[in-house]
Amino acid sequence: MAQRKKTSVSRRRVLQGAAAAAGTLPFIHVPHSLAAEEAIGNWPTGAKGSSVFVGVTTPLTGPYSADGIDHLKGYQLAIEHLNEGKGLAAHVPSFKGKKGLLGKKIVYKNADTQTQPNPAIQAQTNFITQDKAIMIAGSLSSAVAIAIEKLAQRYKVLNMVGCSGANETTGVDCQKFAFRSQPSAYMAAKALAPVLGKEIGRNKKAIYLVPDYAYGHSVEHSTGEFTEKELGWKSLGSQVYPFGKTTDYSSYLLNIANSGADVFVNVAFGGEAVASIKQAKQFGIFDKMKMVVPNISAFQGKELGPEYMGGVYGTMDFWWTLSETNPMAKIFVDTFHAKFNYRPSWPAHIAYTQMMVWADAVARAKTFNPAKVIAELEAGHKLQMPLGEVWYRKEDHQQVRAVPVVVGKTKAEMRNEDDFFKIVGLTPGPEVMPPDFLGCKMPTSI
Amino acid sequence: MSAAPSRIGARGVAWWPVLGMAAFLAAFPYVIPYLGGSLDTANRILDWGLFGLGFDLLFGFTGLLSFGQAAFFGVGGFVASYLLVAPVTGNALLALLVGTVLAAAVGVFVGYLSLRRAGIYFAMLTLAFGEMFYFLDISPLAQWTGGENGLAGVPAPQFGFGFGATSPFGVYWFIAILFFFGFWFALRLIRSPFGAVLRAIRDNGERAAAVGHDVPKYKLTVFVIAAAYGGLAGGLLGLLQGYMPPDAFYLETSGQLVVQTIIGGAGTLVGPLVGAAVWLDLYTVLQNIAGIGALWKMILGVIFVLLVTTFRRGLCGVVVLLWWRATTSSPPAGSEAEAPPPSDLIPPPAEPVIRVSRPITGSVVLATRNLSKRYGGLAAVDDVSFELREGEVRAVIGPNGAGKSTFFNMLASVIPPSAGTIEFKGANITDLGTIRVCQLGIAKSFQINQIFRSLTVRENLRVPAIARTYGKFHPSMLKTVGHDAAVNVRIDEAAAAVQLTDRLDTPAAALAYGEKRRLEVGLALATEPQVLLLDEPTAGMSPAERADTVRLLKRIGAGMTIVIVEHDMDVVFGLADRITVLFNGRKIAEGTPEAIQANPDVRAAYLGSQAAHEPA
Amino acid sequence: MGLTVIFGALGVVNFAHGALYAVGAYAGFVTYEYTDSFVAAMAAGAIFVLIVGIVIERGLIRLYYQRPPEDQILVTFGIGIVLVEGLRAIFGGLNRNLPAPSWAASIVNLHVTLYPIYRIDVLVIVAVVLALLYVVLYRTRLGLIVRAGIEDQLMVNILGINVTRTFLTVFGLGAMAAGFAGVINAPIVTVSPDMGADVLVQSFVVIVIGGVGSFWGAVVGGLIAGEILSLAAMIDPAYSDVMLFAAMAVVLILRPQGLFGVQGRQ
Repeated sequence: MAQRKKTSVSRRRVLQGAAAAAGTLPFIHVPHSLAAEEAIGNWPTGAKGSSVFVGVTTPLTGPYSADGIDHLKGYQLAIEHLNEGKGLAAHVPSFKGKKGLLGKKIVYKNADTQTQPNPAIQAQTNFITQDKAIMIAGSLSSAVAIAIEKLAQRYKVLNMVGCSGANETTGVDCQKFAFRSQPSAYMAAKALAPVLGKEIGRNKKAIYLVPDYAYGHSVEHSTGEFTEKELGWKSLGSQVYPFGKTTDYSSYLLNIANSGADVFVNVAFGGEAVASIKQAKQFGIFDKMKMVVPNISAFQGKELGPEYMGGVYGTMDFWWTLSETNPMAKIFVDTFHAKFNYRPSWPAHIAYTQMMVWADAVARAKTFNPAKVIAELEAGHKLQMPLGEVWYRKEDHQQVRAVPVVVGKTKAEMRNEDDFFKIVGLTPGPEVMPPDFLGCKMPTSI
Repeated sequence: MSAAPSRIGARGVAWWPVLGMAAFLAAFPYVIPYLGGSLDTANRILDWGLFGLGFDLLFGFTGLLSFGQAAFFGVGGFVASYLLVAPVTGNALLALLVGTVLAAAVGVFVGYLSLRRAGIYFAMLTLAFGEMFYFLDISPLAQWTGGENGLAGVPAPQFGFGFGATSPFGVYWFIAILFFFGFWFALRLIRSPFGAVLRAIRDNGERAAAVGHDVPKYKLTVFVIAAAYGGLAGGLLGLLQGYMPPDAFYLETSGQLVVQTIIGGAGTLVGPLVGAAVWLDLYTVLQNIAGIGALWKMILGVIFVLLVTTFRRGLCGVVVLLWWRATTSSPPAGSEAEAPPPSDLIPPPAEPVIRVSRPITGSVVLATRNLSKRYGGLAAVDDVSFELREGEVRAVIGPNGAGKSTFFNMLASVIPPSAGTIEFKGANITDLGTIRVCQLGIAKSFQINQIFRSLTVRENLRVPAIARTYGKFHPSMLKTVGHDAAVNVRIDEAAAAVQLTDRLDTPAAALAYGEKRRLEVGLALATEPQVLLLDEPTAGMSPAERADTVRLLKRIGAGMTIVIVEHDMDVVFGLADRITVLFNGRKIAEGTPEAIQANPDVRAAYLGSQAAHEPA
Repeated sequence: MGLTVIFGALGVVNFAHGALYAVGAYAGFVTYEYTDSFVAAMAAGAIFVLIVGIVIERGLIRLYYQRPPEDQILVTFGIGIVLVEGLRAIFGGLNRNLPAPSWAASIVNLHVTLYPIYRIDVLVIVAVVLALLYVVLYRTRLGLIVRAGIEDQLMVNILGINVTRTFLTVFGLGAMAAGFAGVINAPIVTVSPDMGADVLVQSFVVIVIGGVGSFWGAVVGGLIAGEILSLAAMIDPAYSDVMLFAAMAVVLILRPQGLFGVQGRQ
């Protein structure tokens, strides 16, 4: 049985810190003062015409293509709404009743990243240098998200981060030009723990299935920390599998089945989560223990169905049934459903709300100047979004937002074809924010 | 492998490719904005082009299809990036150099193992080893490589004294200069004796070995060179975008390189550059056509399949073809349309011109002692002892299945004997292998033509001439082979000996059958052998061609020691000084043609074998 | 891992194999959606991919027999891309679920441990297929032709055996095996367009370790590779795949032709 020390999470921190420190390249010389009308990145060049350009990169091919297409649809819908003053755009106080942003039409291009960092960097570099992008967005993995953050920093272009759950994104790798809305692994785990205590109970024995890469270890670490500290759970160890190429989990699942644990914490994500859960059911693990998936992938419910996901606990950035309680969520979900014929998953939610939050900051700054937009975002202005009130924290550029905790519905409980989860908790954002900023040292000036 | 033989490598150095490339590189950054690209795109095209130069040497010129080039790209990239990020050194050139050298070292390792197999298995092995480096990168070495996050913050190159590639143009010039040198070196390499051998290996590796080239060593060397190009390009990727991505190690990287090279045109050196430009352009353009989006990859896949199927040499090949059509009335080299002149009209030269230094002492040059070859329980050759004297023309005959071919292949060290020894001038050469045996002076011409089809006659004969001039391996990569007087003399002599002087610049594939047969003999002759082994030299010839060849062999035979295996008895009796008869693997008779003709055992053997059929 | 053995035994290696495996899984998935029968899904997967294989062979690969083997690799690589992206265009990138058949969905108590019946069934199915394959390959005239095709394509050419039929049979059987493997593996892994990529690399490794075109080589190679993966994963998962390739390297150094391969064959 493979046991990894949990400290291995931070084995690269030193290196990444060094990388971040060296990450400013003088490709585009920017004066370090904040004099009002000095050019920064693509501003003002990129905001001179009748439209502004937003560069989007999502995977359309490769293992995360379904999630990537959902993510892209979120951008599509948001940009359509902003340009036509519809949807949430008709409700955000700073620009409601207006079409476009500061009188300009928003145009965008998307490039297929194939869930790889290099095509994302290549495409975004082109968007920045050729199309004079005023903002860049979109990602479906933390590796890609962090690479884009650093690119944005280098070119001094604002980056509203797409899907990324790693602590590093707003932790050790945080950037002045980048803002992330998805909860970090830390926040998800902290939000999850009290609900697990209520639903599953205290003093349980847990066993983990962990992909062997930084994100897997950080989810495992955070989940372990909060369930042990707050619920008195005990970890029976981790089954660590090689990330990226594993298709057969039988040797790990056998150990899990025979471990005598009460709770099976499955940290796998995407296709690996689907395969490992299918196999876990074949090993009869669900007859013996409850399963927790700390971060549920966008289409896990649809891909596995209620036979597998019924009774599984986890967190998600967003789940569409929030539309039943939140009017903003209702607008988003209904317009999305009308346009694309299915209810949005959380990558679409991230894309949609990040666009709206950015537009609000621009509208309030009354300029596309990134220095001023960053200042507006850092000001912590509270905005009503599908998750309720959200705002950015200036110390690490992590969005303070509620974290939905969900449980999978059984087939009998489902009311429509997309009704896979029930929201069992909506942990308020301020309760889950990491107090130490996870190693982020945000510079005060640009 | 290729439809049209390379134009490069003919006599005389053409400077236009180098000057043309320099002009292109100087103009490229000013032109690309009009083509809808940015400087960053230009940098990436050059970087992929540089990566592809190495791959083209490996695949386009040597015929080795590797699906694992990502390993070298990644190693070079991560080593250079780590050195600059850590930072171990601030000197970008030093970091690039170390990365390139380490990538080459990895190339030695991967090449040594993968080159143990050929064809599809070589491709599989390189792919598997490429994956191995991906796993090493993301897990065990993640501490240094950043795992799936890669390495960010690679500083722009600085060279001191205020020089540095810190502006976008600076980066471009930096890459362009390195690309230029990479191109120049690759161009020199393919015009060198080394390059000539590579192309021979691509066409027919077995034959290249048979004329005395250490093929495995050549392959490994070019594999390592390709790895070094990959390492340099990988390092440049980190420098140009300030970030070294983990996908450098992905299978997709190797695949993209292959696809780009094929689309652009393999075996052209500029093909990978063109392919990279097309790929990057289509990638951007296709995705922005409404309704295509995710289908871009499938469309590129279809284009790729169509190009592989129809235009083997990619876009550059198409351009060359069109250019040929436009400028000349005759089709490009390689097409079969060119009508060969009838071969039997060539008047025989007055006297043999092949230069063979040989005292007529009549001592034993080649001998076998109790030579046997068994396959399972079957003895193909059984206890054959045999002595060949200097200056002698010896024929080995026998009915089908007598073991002639097996015996012959043992003499040439193509197959190892099960028992017994072979001696050359008193030295045991039993297990030396074809290459060393050929270098010693035993050359074989094959029953089925084994010529280098896509090369011209001159280029064909150059291959054995290089083996004789430079030995079994010689890394002379900067010498222009067309200028090598020693090699040229040997080519001319061999061409004259087989009466192909007028056809020197004709592609071998376009020769008439009889001419191909003569070229086959010429390839063996050009190694200047002391013993020439001829395996059915007149197989498949028309009577006229046959008579021609007998005249030719007679002339050659007047000056050398020859063993000839032949079915046609007219040829045998017209040429041989002595004849050895094999039957059922055993030697049943040996002597002068007259004696053999009269031998009753031989008659019985030939009559009896009519009933029993075994494959030869 | 057992499934790569079938590829190995057939000695069929082409770079579209991973894609054909995925096509088989999707064919099975669609059939299952309509019929609810896993047996029908298995048959559909095998037969549909056999047809796809025949179409590819007749339409494209056939043009390549006179060309160097490298060209065949290239065209199968390209076909692989087109097939995978075609699946994505038709079915989208979602992971699809083909459940284990109801008769195999339970768990068996092996005294030492519990084990899913479906996995045991897969073992049995693989064993049966291998046995069938063995009989076909070594006891029938068709097998003789196929083996000749696997072992020495040039020789087949020279001997003038009906070359067209041989290559079509070899390619078709290989494709069918890939499609079948796709269906029976589908309940264990997830059905997605990219599912074949890893199978491809693993089957290459098995073939290299076992020896090309050797039936027993493929069986032993498959077992060795499976053992290495699971043993190394227990010691340190970071190295499990690396160990697999290291084993391959060792085999190449000691026996370049593979454990059961015949010397001199490339």
